[in-house]
Amino acid sequence: MTQETGGTVDAAIDRALRAYEALAELGEGVEDEWSYVQDLADAWRSRLEAVAATRADEPLDPTADAAVDAAIGEIGQIDDPHRAIDWLSTFPQVMLLALGERP
Amino acid sequence: MRFQDAARDGRAVVYAGIQADPLVARAADLLADAGQGERIMARAVMNGETTDPGTWMAMFPTLFGPDRVGSGRARSEAVLAAALEVAERGEAVRSQFRGAIVEELTARMLARRVGRGAVRRERRILFDGVRAEIHPYDVTVERDGAPEAYDCKWGARGISDDVLHQLDDARGHADDEGEALRTSLVVFDAMRSCDVRLSRSSAPTDGTRIVALETLDTLAAP
Repeated sequence: MTQETGGTVDAAIDRALRAYEALAELGEGVEDEWSYVQDLADAWRSRLEAVAATRADEPLDPTADAAVDAAIGEIGQIDDPHRAIDWLSTFPQVMLLALGERP
Repeated sequence: MRFQDAARDGRAVVYAGIQADPLVARAADLLADAGQGERIMARAVMNGETTDPGTWMAMFPTLFGPDRVGSGRARSEAVLAAALEVAERGEAVRSQFRGAIVEELTARMLARRVGRGAVRRERRILFDGVRAEIHPYDVTVERDGAPEAYDCKWGARGISDDVLHQLDDARGHADDEGEALRTSLVVFDAMRSCDVRLSRSSAPTDGTRIVALETLDTLAAP
């Protein structure tokens, strides 16, 4: 699989948010938690978008860029909606750590 | 009010076997000394798909980058190894391991503040004239004049109205008897996620402290 590497903070977050969207759709499969999934994803999406807006085209260290892709690859393997909900919280924390931000 | 050992049904006996597994104690010891980044990594690995350590090391460059050497690096590697052992136990079992680890971690952190002898596990709290609760508290601190009760959750999704009501009811009943019972919910997840979950709850939360990943160390603080 070829993974694109943007090399900037906002490009990395853009890739992460696209993967995050797919994760949220998977989590929506748990009907009782549908609105919680929406709220949870919104809360973390806002946090990541705030980082993208602040740091925008700041160059990203290659190891951080690779970390983002590794995390995206990890959530791409998830096929269980319950695990997806758990990762809707975990994935943004991993992202923020990789970007040198406080989770 | 008084504390009492919980009666053990078949499920509790099985779970006690997991609680007693040496891996639970090892993981709790490591996580008690870990930083927030290592705790987040442990959370990811213990509920992850891949069991390849190299993938996780690439995912956490702040823990395994070339500048990270010495005891800090060794601790991160030990946390990763323990978390991978949990992940490799298989889907059915590892969720029980995760819960047991959060409970044991909570107990160990509390023991740093109050001493090991005051920290108990799986205890019920009885109040005069009040029907006993079915579910025991995961961890209690039993000291004259300063009792504490803790429930522990792996993730924010585990925060339910039932558990919040139980903690609040216990605090209220203790207050009726003139005891100041401190109640807390320990969640091995980010406060942001806890806040989302709590915002959807109608249960009382004012008197219950939420201890999230970011504030775990406060359990040990005077």
